[in-house]
Amino acid sequence: MEKFGDRLMTAAVPEVDFSKAFEMQPFLREPDQMYVGAPGKHGYLKLRFALDKDGKSILREIDRRVPLIAQQELYFDEEMPEMPCLYILSSGGPNVDGDRYQQDVIVEKDAYGWISTGAATKLAEMKFNYSGMVQNITLHEGAYLEFLPEPVFPCRNTRFICDTRLTVDPTATVVYSEIYQPGRKYYKDGEMFDYDILSVHSHGHRPDGTPLFNEKFIIEPAKQNPRVLGIMGRYEIFANVIVMAPKEIFEKVYAETTPGIDKKNDIATGITTLPNDAGLLFKVLGNKTAPVKKAVRDFASKVRMAVKGKPLPEEFPWR
Amino acid sequence: MSTPTDFTSVMHLLQFTDSTFPVGTFSFSNGLETAAYENIVTDAATLREFVEAVALQAAFTDGIAALHAHRAYLAGDYEAATEADRALFRFKMNAEARLMLQRMGKKLAELASHLFESELISRWLEDIRTEAVPGTFPVGQGLAYAAAGVSERDLFCAHQYGVINMVLSAALRIVRVSHYDTQKILFDLAAQAEKHYEQAAKMELKDMNAFVPQLDIIASLHEKGNMRMFMN
Repeated sequence: MEKFGDRLMTAAVPEVDFSKAFEMQPFLREPDQMYVGAPGKHGYLKLRFALDKDGKSILREIDRRVPLIAQQELYFDEEMPEMPCLYILSSGGPNVDGDRYQQDVIVEKDAYGWISTGAATKLAEMKFNYSGMVQNITLHEGAYLEFLPEPVFPCRNTRFICDTRLTVDPTATVVYSEIYQPGRKYYKDGEMFDYDILSVHSHGHRPDGTPLFNEKFIIEPAKQNPRVLGIMGRYEIFANVIVMAPKEIFEKVYAETTPGIDKKNDIATGITTLPNDAGLLFKVLGNKTAPVKKAVRDFASKVRMAVKGKPLPEEFPWR
Repeated sequence: MSTPTDFTSVMHLLQFTDSTFPVGTFSFSNGLETAAYENIVTDAATLREFVEAVALQAAFTDGIAALHAHRAYLAGDYEAATEADRALFRFKMNAEARLMLQRMGKKLAELASHLFESELISRWLEDIRTEAVPGTFPVGQGLAYAAAGVSERDLFCAHQYGVINMVLSAALRIVRVSHYDTQKILFDLAAQAEKHYEQAAKMELKDMNAFVPQLDIIASLHEKGNMRMFMN
């Protein structure tokens, strides 16, 4: 740990700071609780997948700071037993006021990996500051990554901002998903869209820095009710899946994906291409978690089939 | 163009926003065709919500880009104009919307070059033709309106008016509503547009944002469907 004045700070990790973001200006007060950047409130993970000398994809490097935890890669994927699978956990419970996180994932040439979270990410009630996360996901030539975390639950007055930079070689493929719940539906009288702000920015680049696309959405339910036609309509849960892939891969997946309004499962799905031939964007709206997660997995399975010739396995019954 | 006066810039503003100004607005419905087919928009009340959402997402993407292009024109900064153009293209998460903005953008650049002399707009048109820039319509609006002496506030009005009117004109053909309904919606949304301007005027290109997943899904159903009265 390092000391700045009378404060202990988490050592040797990049600073995560969103104080310049226009939408976070009302939420910059230092918390009355433990200060921003304190050990335990500044999580960091670096995960690097690479091929070993026998050509097996392994987790070659891991660096972590509490509360983020990742342990060892496991090979439990029944459809793709060679796939190194990793769960990201948090020892701190929910993300709390003033928390900062950074997750750096690197997939080296021709390596592959699967990442999820062990449980849903809860974003606690906040009073003073915000919780912020930076993700840098980098894929080298021929690399393949599935990043399919469990849903995020914002609570009352949650302020959360996330910036995800995807730097992907033109020959590599990444599937990156996010699922946002409206809140703790069954807590007390039910919390639905009671959070202050969710600001989510995901942007794709080539390794030389060429920018390809920016998707930024800001949800502030008190300023604009999301439950209106055009925004979320009568739906509560929202999932977003970004695929960056070579053109022949994403065109195949696009052709095989049928968007639609599925009355039986009460979901609506949409697909479009990203600007600058970067890949695909798949969206799901729904009212129950299970069909939304299934739609995301079914879509991810199409991508895996196009790249690796194998589907995703059946989801574990306890997930 | 000769130096615009207060009088001529109002004339130009009215001309550029008129629905007969030939940039192709009539061929787009901004997803309304699908929304009507799916029984999501069925009457004046649902049409109003739909148009509000379309205007909202346009304000904080197209609107911001248009304002930055307007400022770039006044500063004589061509690079800043192309940056607004490229940034808007990167922020548009919908293939048919990108196609619409590019088709209308090119038409506007061609028409503007026919109407008056502007070195900056001619250069932009040349770059559109060689695909050096995407050539998005809102950036074209920013440049043309600045050249015509229209203020950025009035440009933003024209941008919101154009987006709202495009959907409402399509609505008259595909939703069971009357001219009285559509005019009432257009009239009432003026206040919302002003609020959007107050915010958008302070925002940078990197602040562009949109959260309209239901519109995105509707757009994608059109993209993969076979309804073709409108191009989106």
